[in-house]
Amino acid sequence: MGRILSSITDGKGFDIIMVGVTMAFLFALAGVPLVYNVVMSFQQVDMFNLNTFSRPFVGFDNYVAVVNQPEFWLIIRNTAIFVFGSITGQFALGFALALFFMIKFPFAATIRGLFLVSWVMPGLVVGALWGWILAGDFGVLNAILKAVGLTERTLFWKSDPNLAIWAVTMANIWLGLAFNMMLLSVGLAGIPRDLYEAAELDGANSWQRFTTITLPMMRATIGAVLALGLIYTLQQFDLFPAITEGGPANSSNVAQYWAWQWSFVLFDFAKGATVSVMMLVFVLVASIIYVWSTRHEVRG
Amino acid sequence: MKLSTISLMAGAAMSTLIIASGGLAQDNVTVTVWSIDGANQVGPSDTFSAEFDEMDNGINVEYRILQFDEIVNETLRAYSTGNAPDIVSLDNPDFALFSSRGAFLDITDMVAASDIINADAYFEGPLNSVSWDGRLFGVGKYTDTIGVFYNKDAFEEAGIDAPPQTWAEFEDYARRLAKPGEGFYGATLSARGNEEGTFQFLPVIQMSGGSYENVNTEGAREWLSMVKGMIDDGVMSQDVLSLGQWDSTGTFNSGNAAMAISGPWEIDRMVEDAQFEWGVTLLPTFAEGDARSSALGGFNLGIMSTTQHPEAAFEVLEYMVAQDDRLFPEFGYLPTRGDVELPPSGIAQKDAALEVFLEQLQYAQPRGPHPEWQRISRAIYDALQSALTGQMTPDEALSRAQSTIDTIVN
Repeated sequence: MGRILSSITDGKGFDIIMVGVTMAFLFALAGVPLVYNVVMSFQQVDMFNLNTFSRPFVGFDNYVAVVNQPEFWLIIRNTAIFVFGSITGQFALGFALALFFMIKFPFAATIRGLFLVSWVMPGLVVGALWGWILAGDFGVLNAILKAVGLTERTLFWKSDPNLAIWAVTMANIWLGLAFNMMLLSVGLAGIPRDLYEAAELDGANSWQRFTTITLPMMRATIGAVLALGLIYTLQQFDLFPAITEGGPANSSNVAQYWAWQWSFVLFDFAKGATVSVMMLVFVLVASIIYVWSTRHEVRG
Repeated sequence: MKLSTISLMAGAAMSTLIIASGGLAQDNVTVTVWSIDGANQVGPSDTFSAEFDEMDNGINVEYRILQFDEIVNETLRAYSTGNAPDIVSLDNPDFALFSSRGAFLDITDMVAASDIINADAYFEGPLNSVSWDGRLFGVGKYTDTIGVFYNKDAFEEAGIDAPPQTWAEFEDYARRLAKPGEGFYGATLSARGNEEGTFQFLPVIQMSGGSYENVNTEGAREWLSMVKGMIDDGVMSQDVLSLGQWDSTGTFNSGNAAMAISGPWEIDRMVEDAQFEWGVTLLPTFAEGDARSSALGGFNLGIMSTTQHPEAAFEVLEYMVAQDDRLFPEFGYLPTRGDVELPPSGIAQKDAALEVFLEQLQYAQPRGPHPEWQRISRAIYDALQSALTGQMTPDEALSRAQSTIDTIVN
């Protein structure tokens, strides 16, 4: 008895309890809902059998039905544009800003801190702001574009099927920019100064220093930023209801918003679950990449 | 001195006891009411709930405000977890989703025995939307419909003396009224990708001989081409595809559009905001003398079947119905029954508009009722948007909607 007690307060028992609590927490709050979601995607679910577990099993019917929706490929295309557009934009601009703020100039740290404002704002607020910026007839963006002479005609960012998905992507780039910049700044700060000094002595120019020192040293950070970017972008939901509602005619609809529409506009909870299971597979791949790219950090 | 303190304390104790026992003896029941009234502006359900709550009749009313977008979801969630409110107020096309599955209490017999609620007095459209299989599951709270608001000053300036009576006139006038260079549009409406889009487009389908079960009519195709042409030529803003009715009519109020398709809920704001003379006319038809149609909007009240206090909830319902004569003067809403007098407000434009909307209501047709209305509606507004953005021809868009609807209604 005393052995067990002492093991709990100081020893293997303590470790097991610590791990056990975490595992129980993960299992209850992530594992069970995840499995439940997968099970639901093989059932026929509506609001009136939502609270029972005995629902008719339909096999892969939901998956077949979802893929056969006329808007399916349009939504895949939009999701791809949104995800890759957002990640590319956030990463490129975030990296550029991070490099810029590595230069020592007065108030560099303060200004960099101010960039975080976009990250701490709730998505719905950001969405509402961008909704006004992107409005067709009275929008700020159109006023600016017209004033500098870039366009003569009014661009209907929210209502033109060719522009709508780009409009939301633009807002999302702004939203995620600061997060990318911060993570990349941390990575940059971790690179030892003497490496650059030695390279400079050897006559490497700044482009060579960037490609042979900065990029290789940042490999783990970049992998993590891109993987997290993918996950956050696939989670990004608030901007859609606030800016375009997926319209016009699904031209800015993406998988995550579509899943919500299935469940909470059309009340077909099984199809909503089906779409989210499909997305889960993608996120799983991203998570594996993320874990793989950060494996050195864990051991180091 | 000491004695008086003791007697004072005793008195206080006594009175506490009396209050406590009084509360016990009465054994108040609490009826919860959910509605969107009070979210944007003061409305009937929040006002009447508060009034009923203050009455000393053994029934308390607990009122909860929900947003328009979330009331169906919240009610669904609450119902499936056994926490449903006693009374809920839903948009009329959402009502059948619940009544068809027994989530609303069948009040046919209670209404038959009631001195206050008389089912025969209700207009046909609102009555249909609370009925299922010949039984009554609720009462209409208020109703509305759509017509065409027009800017009389702009009409005069363009030399047009009467509002449009046909869609051809609607297009012709809009083109003459629009000043694309100055950001002044000929007309505005809402073709938004949600229930509002269906609300405004379905009447067009109906007046051209179709219905929600049969959407690909010649008139509907013609109308879609007409509106698309107006958007392409800058006579109508492309943002009609993303603006709701309230925002779309906002552009009319601020003098940026000569006509707006919307409903009576706009009147009070328009009286305040519009710096010009305005009027309302009936929704145009395809040819003069053709069958008319319009949308039937408005909310219903129903008692959830899971209620613990059906009698008390019905009393609350009766109280709300008994206040129907206050709907128009106090809130600008139209009652759902024909036996309520609407006193003139004294504001000439408001009273004239009311007359037009009351006439329009005779042609208003409900959406559904169908338990899967949301899916039908989505097929309709998707077709509307696909055609107006040019992603599909009107015929392709409507045939696709038709094949989706066929799988739902058959």
